Amino acid sequence: MKHLKALNQKAELLERAAEEGKAEEVFLMASVAGCATTFDPGWEVDAFGGVAGLCQPMEADLYGCTDPCWWPAQTGDMLNTNVNWTDGKNAAQKDWRLLDAIYPED
Amino acid sequence: MSKRYHSRLHGLDVGFVLLAGLICSLPAQAKEYLVAVTRPNQVHLIDAAARKVEHSYTIPGNGIPSAVAVPDDGKVAYICTNRWESISGIDLATGKEVFRANMSSGTERVKSVFAMNVSRDGKQLYVHQSPVQLSLDEYQVEDTRIAVYDTSAGLDAKPARTFPAPRRIALLLPGMKSDRLYALGWDLYAINTSSGAIEKTYPIRDWKRPNYSEPDILSVWLQYEQPNIFSTPYYAVRTDISPDDPSAYKTGLLTFDLAKGTFDMEDFEDTSVVIFSSVVSPTHPNEVYMVYTQLTKMDREQHKVIKRIDLDHTYYAINISRDGKEVYLGGALGNIAVYDTATLERIGNIELPDAANQSVAGVRVVQR
Repeated sequence: MKHLKALNQKAELLERAAEEGKAEEVFLMASVAGCATTFDPGWEVDAFGGVAGLCQPMEADLYGCTDPCWWPAQTGDMLNTNVNWTDGKNAAQKDWRLLDAIYPED
Repeated sequence: MSKRYHSRLHGLDVGFVLLAGLICSLPAQAKEYLVAVTRPNQVHLIDAAARKVEHSYTIPGNGIPSAVAVPDDGKVAYICTNRWESISGIDLATGKEVFRANMSSGTERVKSVFAMNVSRDGKQLYVHQSPVQLSLDEYQVEDTRIAVYDTSAGLDAKPARTFPAPRRIALLLPGMKSDRLYALGWDLYAINTSSGAIEKTYPIRDWKRPNYSEPDILSVWLQYEQPNIFSTPYYAVRTDISPDDPSAYKTGLLTFDLAKGTFDMEDFEDTSVVIFSSVVSPTHPNEVYMVYTQLTKMDREQHKVIKRIDLDHTYYAINISRDGKEVYLGGALGNIAVYDTATLERIGNIELPDAANQSVAGVRVVQR
């Protein structure tokens, strides 16, 4: 973890687990079943270690991954907590610029 | 007129009446339609031959639509919506909601992750449910189950019965008769729809194939309805080949014949492209078509790729016409592309209203 800096609370928890020697207790991608158990890294590398095998263009995959919470950290949680994030923006190829950042609420 | 001659004539009369009755009972010139859904909560009935959206209906309540099931008569589309917490049945002729099951109630939140289907006769709806109890300071995950609804239960439908079911079920496939349901998860389970008993397990993750890793599949799209054969690609790694050798990585095809009950998993190439979904030809069952950012035609008797072309963008889902002459590529963005199965040439394109995305949903093919 010398060269990586945690940017959010979940990443800090993972960093702390590694420092405490509990990395083996951290299980990622246990199954694909929505927000609770998926931790895909988002705009990831493909099965071959590159990007050519990812969906083309990225917009084709934006809602297909966002709607089932495949990217719960990188895009809005459309199933439970940020269900209005894409309201009125149903064509990713032209609407992706309109998607705002999400900030924690008090 | 002799008695014998009269008897024969009477027999012909009866035959003619029966034949006439049979013809009258068939839908007049049943046409092929596609059923697709888009964001935020729309279902579309598409004339396949005309490449035209014939009707677009709004599904009541919150979106976003995911799994779509249609019985053999093609009259009502059952759609998982409301953040995976409701099933809505929409009459495809009128757009009227004729069935609604809101699965969550009180402090129990119930979601269905793609695994929803309807019996072929349209009488029973099956939903794999993942329930969670929402307490003040904790969420308690409950056991997964399959709920069976009578589709005549109206707009406040409650399950006719439920029974325990394995976790991680991604698809439900109706048997040819309504007493059998198949659930695809880590393995494929044959389930008695009355008792809920798992009567047979077809091993997938538990295949124990020597010198192979466990196979990996991502199968959340339904496209079995024309051949009555379900198929999906799988990926596995040969453990007896060096990991830095590309030939260690295999792509194969899982097929399950819903009519015959035959199950098969065979490699067909060293993994070279990603494939999300596949469909078997109803007229040439050795031919299989697969899609992602490429469209692939594969011969499953010879276990080899016949042809592969690049597409204009990624499509998640594929389906096929009843005559086997064209495939429909959908899911992801806001169009359905049509390709000729003989040449893999693009022969049509259907733009969905407002270019709204299909997102993770697939395309169903029905005759009505």
